[in-house]
Amino acid sequence: MSIELVNVGVAQLKIASSPVILRTILGSCVGICIYDRNKKMGGLAHVLLSKATNDSQPEKFAETAIPALIEQLLRQGCKRDFMTAKIAGGASMFKFASQTPLGLIGENNISMTKKILEEKKIPIVGEDTGGSVGRVIDFFLEDGRLKVKAGGHEEYYYKV
Amino acid sequence: MHEHIKERIKTVIANLNALPSMPEVVTRIINMVNDPNVDFKLVAEEISRDQAITTNILKIANSAYFSKGKEIASVEKALVTLGMKEVKDIVVVAATKQVLDKPVIGYDLAKGELWKHNVAVAMLAKKIAIDKKKKNLADLVFTGGIIHDVGKTVLAIYVASTFKDLIQSTVDNQITFAQAEQLLLGFDHQEIGQIILKKWQFPESLQNIVRYHHDADDAPQSDIEAVAIVHVANTICQMAGIGIGGDGLYYELSGKAIEATGLDDSELQHYYGITPELLKMARQIM
Ligand SMILES: [Fe+2]
Ligand SMILES: [Fe+2]
Repeated sequence: MSIELVNVGVAQLKIASSPVILRTILGSCVGICIYDRNKKMGGLAHVLLSKATNDSQPEKFAETAIPALIEQLLRQGCKRDFMTAKIAGGASMFKFASQTPLGLIGENNISMTKKILEEKKIPIVGEDTGGSVGRVIDFFLEDGRLKVKAGGHEEYYYKV
Repeated sequence: MHEHIKERIKTVIANLNALPSMPEVVTRIINMVNDPNVDFKLVAEEISRDQAITTNILKIANSAYFSKGKEIASVEKALVTLGMKEVKDIVVVAATKQVLDKPVIGYDLAKGELWKHNVAVAMLAKKIAIDKKKKNLADLVFTGGIIHDVGKTVLAIYVASTFKDLIQSTVDNQITFAQAEQLLLGFDHQEIGQIILKKWQFPESLQNIVRYHHDADDAPQSDIEAVAIVHVANTICQMAGIGIGGDGLYYELSGKAIEATGLDDSELQHYYGITPELLKMARQIM
């Protein structure tokens, strides 16, 4: 049996159940992976920015995408008590003029992600963020593990 | 270190046959754009002689991105409805796809990733040029965007065998990935790209876009605006993770280039924020 691999694009949010693998590619964006270890179900939100400006697409922003992701999982019968989060991405250009807000997008995405997860009381059990690497992440709904491929090497985060 | 690799790269770039090739008709069309005495009919005939390219051209010309809803049944019709510059852009897309739409191992790019990246950069660069009232640069930065990373296709195998050292060198020396390529391999993907464009006899302004897309500050004054637009569009696409590879964001975002484009902070953020829509547009012609 081959396991289904689902690509999650920029500013997309997808949920699925074991044994599906959710994959996304991250630069300054942040990938938020929330897993319900009891129901073996989870979702991945790929956010571009921390908060909405005058754009109406909630999936683009950490501030709105994370609550939407939790909401979708709850609607599928997941329980908040069994949910944990892993986050990845939020890289920045290796060098940039200090006055350039574009250079701070990665960091802002990470801090907003942490703030919203804390507000929603979802503990972060794994984090692979910052630096200047591009990341390909695979979120295995079989057991909630996260594989992060960056700069030619792989790292696994097993804790759920 | 890596002296044998440097030597091998020198041999490769000295051998024109080892570099990607480009149909002659494409070179001729690119150079025609700047000629005010061009005869449209002649251009159409010229293109139509290459059946494979013609088929691809018509497919791309009829994408919503280029056709804007009009039906384009022939190259001649394309020239009349879209104009010479648009047709030139379409020809470049059709002709470079075969060079760029493949896996690029050393940079860790799966098949289609480099192509997607270059198409997205081209479209964003063109949009910036039009939005900033530099319509005269729109077709130049589009073509430049489409080919800016072409050097990666040749340098890739050497990057593959030295990747760890390249990353180590960026961190140890606090230099960009392109500078590490220069240091360890003797050439970076911008220089290799320029050599490829020279072989294709593409115009100098395009060569400059390819050569300076990461080193915008060093671009010749004559092409500074075009280089800066592609530099910014490339950076935004990299940050959005579009075709981001093993070299990641190990590059520099130039403040001087931002200044040259005339973009302010909220505009830059806006372009970064619309990358999902940009990608949808890119898929139309990929
Ligand atoms: Fe590049
Ligand atoms: Fe690029």
